[in-house]
Amino acid sequence: MYVLEMDHVSKSFPGVKALDDVTLKVRPGTVHALMGENGAGKSTLMKCLFGLYSMDEGQISFNGQPVNINSVKEALALGISMIHQELHLIPYRSVMENIWLGRYPRIGGSKSPVVDHKTMYEMTASLLKELNLNTIQPTDLLRTLSVSKAQSVEIAKAVSYESKIIIMDEPSSSLTENEVEHLFTIIRSLKARGVAIIYISHKMEEILKISDEVTIMRDGKYVGTWPANELTTATIIKRMVGRDLTHRFPSGESTIGGELLRIEQYTSPNPRSFKDVSLTLHKGEILGIGGLVGAQRTEVMEAVFGLRLHSQGKLFVNGKEVVCNNAYDAKRLGMALLTEERRATGIFPVLSVQENLVIANINAYRNKNGLLNAAKMAADTKKSIKELDIKTPSARTLIKSLSGGNQQKVLFARWLLTVPDILILDEPTRGIDVGAKFEIYVIMRELAAQGKGVIMISSEMPELLGMTDRIVVMSEGRVAGVVASKETNQEAIMELATKYVG
Amino acid sequence: MKKITAVVCLALALATPMFAQGQSDSKAIEIGCAIYKFDDTFMTGVRNAIVAAAAETDAKVEVVDSMNIQATQNEKVDLFITKGMKAMQINPVDRTAAGVIIDKAKKANIPVVFFNREPLAEDMAKWDKIYYVGARAEESGTMSGQIIADYWKANKSMDKNGDGVLQYVMLKGEPGHQDAELRTEYSIKNLQDNGIKVQKLAEDTGMWDRVKGQEKMAAFIASQGDKIEAVFANNDDMALGAIEALKAAGYFKDGKFMPVVGVDATAPALQALEEGTLLGTVLNDAVNQGRATFMLSYDLARGIKPTSDSIGYKITDGKYVWVPYQKVTKENYKQFK
Amino acid sequence: MEMLNAKKVKQFVMDKAIFLVLLLLVVVIAIINPRILRLQVLRDILMMSSTKIIMALGMMFVILTGGVDLGGGRLVGMAAVISASMLQTADYVRRFYPDLGQVPVILPILLAVAVGTLFGMMNGLIVAKFKVPAFIATLSSMLIIYGINSIYFNMPPNNSQPIGGLRADFTFLGSGSVGFVPVIVVFAGIVSIIVWFVLNKTVFGKNVYAVGGNPEAAAVSGINITKTLVGLFGVCGFLISLSGVLEAARTGGATNNYGNGYELDAIASCVVGGVSTTGGVGTVSGVIAGVIIFSFINYGLTFIGVNPYWQNIIKGVIIVSAVSFDIRKYVQKK
Repeated sequence: MYVLEMDHVSKSFPGVKALDDVTLKVRPGTVHALMGENGAGKSTLMKCLFGLYSMDEGQISFNGQPVNINSVKEALALGISMIHQELHLIPYRSVMENIWLGRYPRIGGSKSPVVDHKTMYEMTASLLKELNLNTIQPTDLLRTLSVSKAQSVEIAKAVSYESKIIIMDEPSSSLTENEVEHLFTIIRSLKARGVAIIYISHKMEEILKISDEVTIMRDGKYVGTWPANELTTATIIKRMVGRDLTHRFPSGESTIGGELLRIEQYTSPNPRSFKDVSLTLHKGEILGIGGLVGAQRTEVMEAVFGLRLHSQGKLFVNGKEVVCNNAYDAKRLGMALLTEERRATGIFPVLSVQENLVIANINAYRNKNGLLNAAKMAADTKKSIKELDIKTPSARTLIKSLSGGNQQKVLFARWLLTVPDILILDEPTRGIDVGAKFEIYVIMRELAAQGKGVIMISSEMPELLGMTDRIVVMSEGRVAGVVASKETNQEAIMELATKYVG
Repeated sequence: MKKITAVVCLALALATPMFAQGQSDSKAIEIGCAIYKFDDTFMTGVRNAIVAAAAETDAKVEVVDSMNIQATQNEKVDLFITKGMKAMQINPVDRTAAGVIIDKAKKANIPVVFFNREPLAEDMAKWDKIYYVGARAEESGTMSGQIIADYWKANKSMDKNGDGVLQYVMLKGEPGHQDAELRTEYSIKNLQDNGIKVQKLAEDTGMWDRVKGQEKMAAFIASQGDKIEAVFANNDDMALGAIEALKAAGYFKDGKFMPVVGVDATAPALQALEEGTLLGTVLNDAVNQGRATFMLSYDLARGIKPTSDSIGYKITDGKYVWVPYQKVTKENYKQFK
Repeated sequence: MEMLNAKKVKQFVMDKAIFLVLLLLVVVIAIINPRILRLQVLRDILMMSSTKIIMALGMMFVILTGGVDLGGGRLVGMAAVISASMLQTADYVRRFYPDLGQVPVILPILLAVAVGTLFGMMNGLIVAKFKVPAFIATLSSMLIIYGINSIYFNMPPNNSQPIGGLRADFTFLGSGSVGFVPVIVVFAGIVSIIVWFVLNKTVFGKNVYAVGGNPEAAAVSGINITKTLVGLFGVCGFLISLSGVLEAARTGGATNNYGNGYELDAIASCVVGGVSTTGGVGTVSGVIAGVIIFSFINYGLTFIGVNPYWQNIIKGVIIVSAVSFDIRKYVQKK
């Protein structure tokens, strides 16, 4: 009846219950969509299935037999494949070598050291033909292929493993409309072969079009499973977000002042990225930027900060047109950016709290001999630790040993030392526990009260609605609408976020 | 755990011979010796001669490698002083750095014998317990020039193009190295002093290295062809490399000959002399340099003022022992084997 | 149409930058001294390049996985000393082993190459098992190999004297010719063909590229990373020690200082020949071209009598400009 049953699966990470008694049942030969907001636990569930994470509780049955999956190799051997958002391919090798990697046919038996290129070519050709991938040659180098074709190669590889289940994680996120249509053709032919597809996507119309059943998750919990033809975009959204605002936010009224930052028609040289983005930030305002993952919110803000190229567009600070080509310019213009990837682009893990704190403002500590004024740095560090209530044993503690929330506070403090007027916060509360979140909200409120402008990119609806004055909703690299936070709701935002999707 | 134990045991077993050279027994007269670098063929000869000479006495010589870094050598000297050596033998990495070493030694009252690389005269004058053993580098140049000059006068056929001018190529050692510069300069000067007109066709550095000598010579042959009438090399390794290149170009058979001279008289060079491919070389007398260095330091370590008689080598100006170079050719090579 | 052509020309220049540099050098040198255009010069350069090609091909295996073998140069010295010490003529006065009889020429060669392979495999094991970066693992083996070789070289009665008087049947491998074709060039040719076959036609070769190109993908696909790393470091050790043996045969002698610094030349040749230091990209033909370009630069600059100090400057400029051109093929701004 079911090719895959995942029952009562739970998984905790320190401080977070990522999966709480989740159930997923998939029938052979169907497309089963898995939906939920960012952070609902979809990826965690799939990583448990693919052997990348181990479950704390629960049972997986495959073809009715209970199984233990402890590694990717075991998953592949069972017949479970995963098409990742970041493709697992070798760029400078041919299509056929990528598909048969580790399993090359050999001349004269399986022990022979010599690869049988002719057989490999033929096997690849017939595989590609079966999947109607006529535009891909077995000898093409991977790096010469488009993203869509590379993805097709991954799918072909999954098929070559004779997979019974193929997990597709946001497979259409970087594809054009025609390419998505082609992907669906492949999916249909896989269905016809009895393969089950677990399809993860935010794109409502795609889901309704291709899937047979839909399982919805929310906050690590199982909401339910429905046949796709009984669902509409509205009912899916309601079930995905359907909850009360449980988080608490600091109260306070913003006093909105004059214009602080304005961008006009920012457009990326990359046609798949942002386009014609315009927005205005006022003094004392907290401006939210909402949208789905992949809506290019981070990219726009990094372009404003000078970290990415833009081919068109104007930037105004305090009404004057300015140029910002790198982070140095941005700092001079009074901007500060807290990046989304705290670990990769925020903290210096093996440096101390103090060193992390003063780094963006290091020039200010130089005395006339060119040496650093240690006393001043220590004093500022002490002051920051106190003001932001950073919980650290000492200023010399390595930042990597602090909790996520306290690391984030250090990063806040780092930028506050540069006395910025404009703060751009990219997912400032991601991966932070509830208590620390509240403290960060308080800091944001205080900054706004001081007349600074704050831009917050967030994927968490309650946070957007509860903290901001206005929300710019982006969809597929464009501004889908600007709403006043007090006069809107989650459904309206979700509607805007999917405006250009599909 | 077992594995770790096994590794430690193995390491200890391997390490036992490590101390063979440096281990001192408490009664012996200890002398510290710092070589500028261990992988220099000639200095290895000197080093071996020092150790051999010490073996005949009750002295122990601790030999260390300065790895061609002056800073490392200074650290080794500090170590010698700390260990209370009775005398030091120093082969400086950089001859101008000897002053610092002399200051240290003087302060600790430990006599020093420098060898092979001559400190500056003003440094030598700093203290009366400073000596130097070495050869005059220009002498080796002069002698290799003389070998070619003798051959030129005896063999009219060497002047291939009959223009009365000697066309030569030069394989230099490391550029800027004192020996390289002096050997190059004095070999040609000697020819001119002999009244021979010379013309340099090409000059390049083989970095004392046989492989590089061979490759540079191949390029010389290709660019100059039969115009070359003699090959000068600053040492035997490069000379032997050049001979290999000449062989590849058809020399040393069917009566086709090229006079090649080197310096050092290494074993393979003597072999080449015997085979008739190398015209001559100059012996930088490693054995006597090593022996003189040791004898001087042995007297100094025992608090005796060395004299020409007590060490068996002539002391000039109260502090210099000059070990002469020797010409080595087909006539006399057998005595050096 | 014109735009397209301009673009094509630019693409061509970028792709073939290294060969254009070589061509330019040949032209410049030929103007100064036309004798460079003779067949003898080609033969000289091929002979000079032969041992270096074998060594660089060994080095390529390691660079394909994003590492380098810093011990390579010292391994050349060790293989040269081991083989030369046992292949001296009976009447040579200062024999390393005074009482050693006439051993078949192949035995010392096999011994030297076996020792080299073993050292290589040990490097591979350390890199794979203890996750020590290749740079560090081979830095250590560089010191260890040199130390062991120096102890061997200083053994009485040799006492660190250069090893000479090599047997003619041995030196024939390095400096002999069959007709106009030098034996050593034939060697390099055969080794190149075998390496090409191994890299392109065997499972092992493909695994080397896979492990170098995307180790995660290789691991997920069930490739034994440890086995592949040990194997490829072993091949590297094998080829480098073989080049050491041939170096002794070519020059007719050996010292413990042989090969010092060769690893840097080999790495530079690989990189100039288009082997990517980030791993996964590189061809046999590219490496051969890289080595020959280097040999030609060395030879050509001496040929026209460029001052040795200037030679270094010119070499540095050529390497960095060739590689920065080449690297633009792979790097794109985000």
